Amino acid sequence: MPLDYKIAERTLANGLRVIVSEDHSVPNVTVNLWVNVGSRHEAEGRTGFAHLFEHLMFQGSRNVASGEHFSALMAAGGRLNATTWFDRTNYFETVPRGAMDLALWMEADRHGRLLDAVNQENLDNQRDVVKEEKRQRYDNMPYGNALIDIYAAIFPKGHPYHHPTIGSMADLDAASVQDVHDFFRSHYGPNNTVLALVGDLTPDEGFAAAQLYFGPLPATASARREPVEPLPPLSEPVRDEQIEDVPSDHLYIAFRLPVDDTPEFFASSLALDAIGGLATSRLCQRLVRREQSATSVSAHAMGFVDGISLGFMMIDVAEGFSADTVEAAACEELVRFAEQGPTDIEMESAMAQSERSWLSSLASQEERADHICHFATLQGDSGYINTYLDRLAEVTPAQVQQAAAKWLMPQSRAVVAYLKQDGDTQ
Amino acid sequence: MTQHDSVTQPESVLERPEVSAPEPWSFPEAQRSELANGLGVVSYDIPGQYVISVCLAVPMPLECEPRDREGIATIMARTLDEGTALHSAEEFAELLERKGIALGAGVNDAGLIVNLDVSKRHLSEALDLLSQAVREPAFPANEVSRHVKSRLAEIDQERAVPGQRAAIEFVATYFDADERASRPTAGTKVTVSAITPQDLVAFHAANVVPSGATVVVAGDLSDLDIVSEMEQALGSWSGEAAEVGEPHEAVRAADAIRVVFLDRPGSVQTEFYIGCPGPDHHVQGGWAPFQVLGFVVGGSPNARVDAVLREEKGFTYGIRSGFRPRRRGGMFLTSGSVRADSTVEALGLLLDILDKAREGFTPEETQAGIDFIGKTAPGRYATADTVAEEAATLSLEGLTTEFTTENLHALLNVDAATLAVAYDRYVNGEWTVVVVGDASLYAEGVRALDRGELTVLPA
Repeated sequence: MPLDYKIAERTLANGLRVIVSEDHSVPNVTVNLWVNVGSRHEAEGRTGFAHLFEHLMFQGSRNVASGEHFSALMAAGGRLNATTWFDRTNYFETVPRGAMDLALWMEADRHGRLLDAVNQENLDNQRDVVKEEKRQRYDNMPYGNALIDIYAAIFPKGHPYHHPTIGSMADLDAASVQDVHDFFRSHYGPNNTVLALVGDLTPDEGFAAAQLYFGPLPATASARREPVEPLPPLSEPVRDEQIEDVPSDHLYIAFRLPVDDTPEFFASSLALDAIGGLATSRLCQRLVRREQSATSVSAHAMGFVDGISLGFMMIDVAEGFSADTVEAAACEELVRFAEQGPTDIEMESAMAQSERSWLSSLASQEERADHICHFATLQGDSGYINTYLDRLAEVTPAQVQQAAAKWLMPQSRAVVAYLKQDGDTQ
Repeated sequence: MTQHDSVTQPESVLERPEVSAPEPWSFPEAQRSELANGLGVVSYDIPGQYVISVCLAVPMPLECEPRDREGIATIMARTLDEGTALHSAEEFAELLERKGIALGAGVNDAGLIVNLDVSKRHLSEALDLLSQAVREPAFPANEVSRHVKSRLAEIDQERAVPGQRAAIEFVATYFDADERASRPTAGTKVTVSAITPQDLVAFHAANVVPSGATVVVAGDLSDLDIVSEMEQALGSWSGEAAEVGEPHEAVRAADAIRVVFLDRPGSVQTEFYIGCPGPDHHVQGGWAPFQVLGFVVGGSPNARVDAVLREEKGFTYGIRSGFRPRRRGGMFLTSGSVRADSTVEALGLLLDILDKAREGFTPEETQAGIDFIGKTAPGRYATADTVAEEAATLSLEGLTTEFTTENLHALLNVDAATLAVAYDRYVNGEWTVVVVGDASLYAEGVRALDRGELTVLPA
């Protein structure tokens, strides 16, 4: 299905890549910046730092007071935030067209002149806030640490994806103002950043504004390292059991997947959909609908750039059934899928759902800008949003079968099992 | 003190840019009609929105659920597409997925909303499937029992998640025990366990009818005849609505003004859920001041609550406040979690901030709130799904998106004095407070705050 969102790209002399996507449907502009630094770049003993640093970007810079990034832009009609992930950090706001210059001026100030405002007090405050984020989202929630356990189980110690983006409490405690300075100098700068401007502007207006505010910043970021060596699938199963006070047994069955933006990754992702992701997936049909040994099954593929990606299925085991029995059934289906490959209907369904969810994600300027930055930063291709579905459609059933046979076999699984304390398994 | 290298960052040469006034904008324009069976059809043509969103809203106050089958509206919503007159549950799921159709349904205190998202080229097929699910669900015994079990497991999950546990206890404490609103929308273990396929057939026949319902379609509708599409899909839907009296405002419990501490031993955070009465969308003087108040009190990291509890104290990742309208009446709610060992201090600070706001608001924070609500509207309503959802939700309250438009205009008349009057009209310090945390460590401290009689219960 051909898409034709307008894309214009220019690189400033300092290395900032600027992408403008003109869309006058709403009198807004989304300003979205991706910095090519994430938790995969963190040093041992400093896990969680990329994310803590992202919080400090809201605590003021040379010409912007602490908290003002939120208050000034929200009062101008801006909706804004930032997120940190394994591969990258993004900063974004959607503002009325008349506030675009203010947004760019403030972004340029913190992306170029942050360190003037960093001090022990705002580091300590945001360290506390981030620790509460960790407690709220992970430590105080049933199954809250399941994904963290998966990363640790499936990627070797020292690998960029072994530790979670939220980091550890001890490492957050250890972070110093000097670390903030070092991190900013190594990773931040126009030569390690992509800026997308999406909405009510022309490419010329966007390029001129980017040059005006970001043009004076020097190319300060250090060169990126090469991606780490690719990992093969696990050669034998890994298991991590947590006996906890949880309401039901949960199984997380994870796999290494091929690196993102490759036909092999797309194929393994479609395979995962057919096995556990669709409402008509094999595991949903068997475990949820027919045997009713699970109350839900879901599956996700997370594309990464450092030599490997991650896929996992989550199975909520029904009362009265044993997690071991359910896991054995899941393994049978994995083997069967690798032997048979996908049916025509499975291919059609996985493609149709991918298409609708892709189009939905492009429906808003915000998400469109984020996709544009994503692919420009990590894959080098600013026009990717228009071609992704065509590339997905090129994947053949044979490729899906091959990917499953290589990456999604029982012997290559890492299982994280959260089991009820009183253990009523049969 | 750590020594830092001298900073060699570039000088700023540009003055801070001025913000110019936003371009005029108005909520997408609705086309309205009604089918012969009484179904209202509302459409919004939004060019460039290639995924079409359809929302079917069927008024169905939760009070119409039988007392011993509460949760039946939710189980019905979840089983509408689990087998129909023409297709088994598995066949139906396959028909949806082969066309990339996302179909879902849920209920709130005012009714049932069925959502459909589909790419434009599959709209007709999607509407046909929507129609089958709504008109001719079969409620097969195997699927019903599966969804009942699934809901029972969900109840256990909700009890284990501190925020959800707090919300359940809050309504039980806040509302009079005779009110449907005092119990979970999706039912309790006892009432859900009793639901049978026959119950669902009867409940569906009595309540899911076209008369009074509204179907909303939003997206790029060029070259589509929406009324004709709807006539074809839903024109043969029939049934008369049962008499439903005027909606009533749920009564607050006589002993609602107190503190309930749910003991969750070992919690590393403590969850708060705090509320008092608030208005609904029909409030005299308009809804706009209440939207602004939500932002000013607890809608951003710089709002009154988080300016202290997050940015000054570092006790929380974020606490949110806002006015939550119901079909009639509403609530002013504040919720979020704090570091366990800050429980007592944080709760005291939080209640003080909420109370002190009765003294009024500055012109600056008032204007910031007005600007945020008003100027973010074009972006908040830029996509098909948000427009369809807004229209469908309002229809259950007897409103159209004219309300949204008028409310945006009314923002221009809000000032600090309006805010103070609006806040003071509802917030009088009579709080219902639910705390979920480690009672052995913090219950006595909370009691000593003297913010209402304290009851400690197991979580």
